[in-house]
Amino acid sequence: MWKNSSLRCVLALAILCLTSLICSQEIGSPGEPQNLKCIMHNLHKMICTWDVSSKGRYGQTDFCYATSDLLPPVCIKTREKRVEIPVSESSFTVIITTNSIYGAAFATKKFVIHKKDISFIPLAPHILSLTPDFSTSTLNLKWSDNGSVFPYGLDAFWQIEILRKETMEKVTQVIYHSKLTHENIILSWNWTSDMPLECTSHYAKIRSYINITDFVGHKDWSDWSPVEKVPGKDTEPNGSGVFPQDTVVAVGSDVTICCIHEEGQQIQQMTYGSEIYPLIHLSSRSSAIRVVNASASDASGTNVVCTLSQDWMDGTVLFVGYAPDTPQNLSCETSNFLIIKCTWKPGKPSGLYGKRRTKYSLLERISGKNISCEVNEMSRERVCGFPVLADQKTYSFTLGVSNPVGQAESSLLVDLTQRVHPKTPEKLIASGNSSTDVHLHWYINGSFTEIWLLCQIEISSGHSEQKLQNVSMAGGKFSTYTAQLNSLHPYTKYQFKVRCSAAEHFWRWSDWSRAEEYTTLEAQPARGPDVWRERSPSGRSLKIFWKPLSLSEANGKIVSHEVSCYLLDTPLEYKEVTEPSHSTEIKLGKNDCVISVVAKNHAGSSPPTKIMSVELPSDDVRTEHAVALGNGIYISWTSYPNVTCGYIVKWCHSSGAEHCSVDWEKFLSNTTDAVIKSVLFRPGVRYNFSLYGCKSSGYQLLKNITGYMKELPPKRAPNFTVEETSSDSILVKWEDIPIEDCQGFLEGYRLSFAKGEKDALKSRLSESGNPELKVKNITDLTKKSLRILDLQGKTSYQLDLQAYTAGGMSPANSLYVVTKEDCKLDIPIY
Amino acid sequence: CRSNVYEQTRKQVALLNATAQDLFSLYLKCQGEPFSSETDKLCSPNGFFFPDFHENRTSEKEVMVAMYKLFAFLNASLGNITRDQEELNPTAKELLDRLHNTTKTTQGLISNLTCLLCKNYNIFQVDVRYGPNSKGKRAFKKKQQGCQVLRKYVQVISHAARIL
Repeated sequence: MWKNSSLRCVLALAILCLTSLICSQEIGSPGEPQNLKCIMHNLHKMICTWDVSSKGRYGQTDFCYATSDLLPPVCIKTREKRVEIPVSESSFTVIITTNSIYGAAFATKKFVIHKKDISFIPLAPHILSLTPDFSTSTLNLKWSDNGSVFPYGLDAFWQIEILRKETMEKVTQVIYHSKLTHENIILSWNWTSDMPLECTSHYAKIRSYINITDFVGHKDWSDWSPVEKVPGKDTEPNGSGVFPQDTVVAVGSDVTICCIHEEGQQIQQMTYGSEIYPLIHLSSRSSAIRVVNASASDASGTNVVCTLSQDWMDGTVLFVGYAPDTPQNLSCETSNFLIIKCTWKPGKPSGLYGKRRTKYSLLERISGKNISCEVNEMSRERVCGFPVLADQKTYSFTLGVSNPVGQAESSLLVDLTQRVHPKTPEKLIASGNSSTDVHLHWYINGSFTEIWLLCQIEISSGHSEQKLQNVSMAGGKFSTYTAQLNSLHPYTKYQFKVRCSAAEHFWRWSDWSRAEEYTTLEAQPARGPDVWRERSPSGRSLKIFWKPLSLSEANGKIVSHEVSCYLLDTPLEYKEVTEPSHSTEIKLGKNDCVISVVAKNHAGSSPPTKIMSVELPSDDVRTEHAVALGNGIYISWTSYPNVTCGYIVKWCHSSGAEHCSVDWEKFLSNTTDAVIKSVLFRPGVRYNFSLYGCKSSGYQLLKNITGYMKELPPKRAPNFTVEETSSDSILVKWEDIPIEDCQGFLEGYRLSFAKGEKDALKSRLSESGNPELKVKNITDLTKKSLRILDLQGKTSYQLDLQAYTAGGMSPANSLYVVTKEDCKLDIPIY
Repeated sequence: CRSNVYEQTRKQVALLNATAQDLFSLYLKCQGEPFSSETDKLCSPNGFFFPDFHENRTSEKEVMVAMYKLFAFLNASLGNITRDQEELNPTAKELLDRLHNTTKTTQGLISNLTCLLCKNYNIFQVDVRYGPNSKGKRAFKKKQQGCQVLRKYVQVISHAARIL
């Protein structure tokens, strides 16, 4: 066997190769492939890389792989140490042969790659765009998920890092999750910076991790994408300024404001309002301050000022306000079925005005119509008008309020026919040609054909209570409405006002219309005047008196009274007495007559009042006193026989007989007392009343009564003199006080006396407190003198005399008298 | 022209002079700090145009022309300031009233000066240079520009009142 040299040569070579193989696994002979790694970036291809054990010049490398013993190996020649091969479903064998530069196999190694040896690392994602929104300090990142190379439904994780400043400090790192859909999808992610993007440069990078669930090999994050940059204004040549500009934030926010200047300049200070804040260095051209928990600013905002060297200043304004409150008390109504007016209470002011003010919109969900509302911020109530839509009765409103800081809304469902608040009735006109009826017309602006209206008429006049009258009527379209009022008083000035509401579903009354004045026409007087007559002492003439009719009885302007004297039906005398006279005198001939008095106005004459002229003779007419009540005079009488047509109390309003203003009052036959009241009664004035009885044949004076409404003390003291003086007595005499000075019915006199010298400074005896004072009360008014006894001789006495009524004491008159010595008569000393 | 137009003009200028400082002080208060405490720095007139009004003008005609330019400029500037403050300070009723009143008096002055220039000097046209429009500017610049105008106005109106 060993005689064959070729065989020996091959055997040697085989042993050599085998040895080489063994050695390469254990040590690595020169050129021997090693560290074979296979990585998948997707599920279709693998990239296998290796290196050789020592450097040197080698030729191509043969890379042969076999996924199965049954299949021949696939070989790839390559000068690199990297091949791309399809993904194998199972383990596979790789034989890598390093060739010499002459092409001869130099070193060979066999590898067995199991599935667990293969790593999966996705390719680094590529950022499609990094877009800044400076107004919101937001970065938007877009990238493709390259999902088309992967099966549907895999979980993908994207790690995103945001970096800031030229030092590229990490600001935030987030992991974003998505599902791969076997299609290439552009993914988007937003990030809002706590610092304006202008302040310094911002960067973003991204890497991915795909979770292939049934992959047994090692899975890892991809490489980072290339960094995308959003440069800050601190890198721009003319980027100086204070940022953010005119921003609006909510109360309580934390805000960063930066100042960008030119290279070489320095910031002296930055202020927020009046406060200096510590600086945060961002770059050689940019510094910032951080305001924490910002409080509400004034209407014009809070100023942030950056002061540079050389006193150069720039600034910005920060508006700090509140989100709008939820609108309260949202209410909607219509006054004319053309416009629906919605009102609400705005709640707490936002503190934001002008462009930043709260904006309002009204959405009606049934029709889908949405309108913007122009609202006066200065007024307390907010109003918005929405057009009434044809054929729509129910409205579902949502009022939206928003400002740059927040938003709120309030909703309301409304049946419009139940929210009618008509406009104020206009052009109210009263007309008529009757003394008791009037037609009213008014106009209401609006279209109310869908509903009935209930209108209320207020009727006022000077001498009666206000009344309300309701009238229902079908609603019209921009119509005039009419009502008739009856049972008014003739010749009366009325004021009418009208207001209206919906009749069936009351919501709100309209405002009252302007008042319309109207005076009803005259009608003939309702009744005849109250008449009295006085016969002259001679009996030849009769004075007739009458009281003017009240306004409600006159029914017009009384122009005259007709006075007639009838004997049976024949007028004996006739007089027409024009206003303002309320009496006349007629001559009576031989016969008595019946006096008829009729009041006349322009509409006609009243029924006649008749009174007999006959004065029946009186017997034993007494004079009695009446009782003063303070607010009237009380008189009484017994019931007189044959007084069938009542009693009359007559008096004058002056105590003198001349220029007497006659007054009277009539009472029914069953009356026996009365309180006579008159605004002309005065306290302390005596009135003389005559009580007449009306009998079928005439009038008879029954009695006289004198009285006072209120008794007062006499105006003055009675005059008195000393008639005689002895050693132990004094006789005094006094005079009557005239009736007009009595001011009441005299009840008596009071004589006070005591020892005392004449002294002008001394007070009245009754007030002097003199222990020797004595008083004599004289109640017999017929007595006009009094002798004072048991006095001391040759002694001076003071005497005071007063008269009194139920109203009190009169002033006192005083006298000083000295009694005689022994029995001598002497002249009194005054 | 009415017979008392010169006297009326003098009174109008005197009125503006009497109210200028109060208007300026109120304006500063309404803009918020540090406008009141750092007025000189914030509202300095550097790089800012305001019509000259020198007191050493020789002729009355020159004075009238200068005054016309001044009040035409002021009228336009007050229009800017008022518009800006109606947006920035809509609740500052007193400030807005003062601005409106000053504007009204200024417009009356322009009317009188127009008449005087026409009647006395046959001048029918005056070239006026106006300040920058503040519309579209940011809020801080609006406040600052108004401050600059009013600060200068207080100084210049006193010169004008002295001359008349």
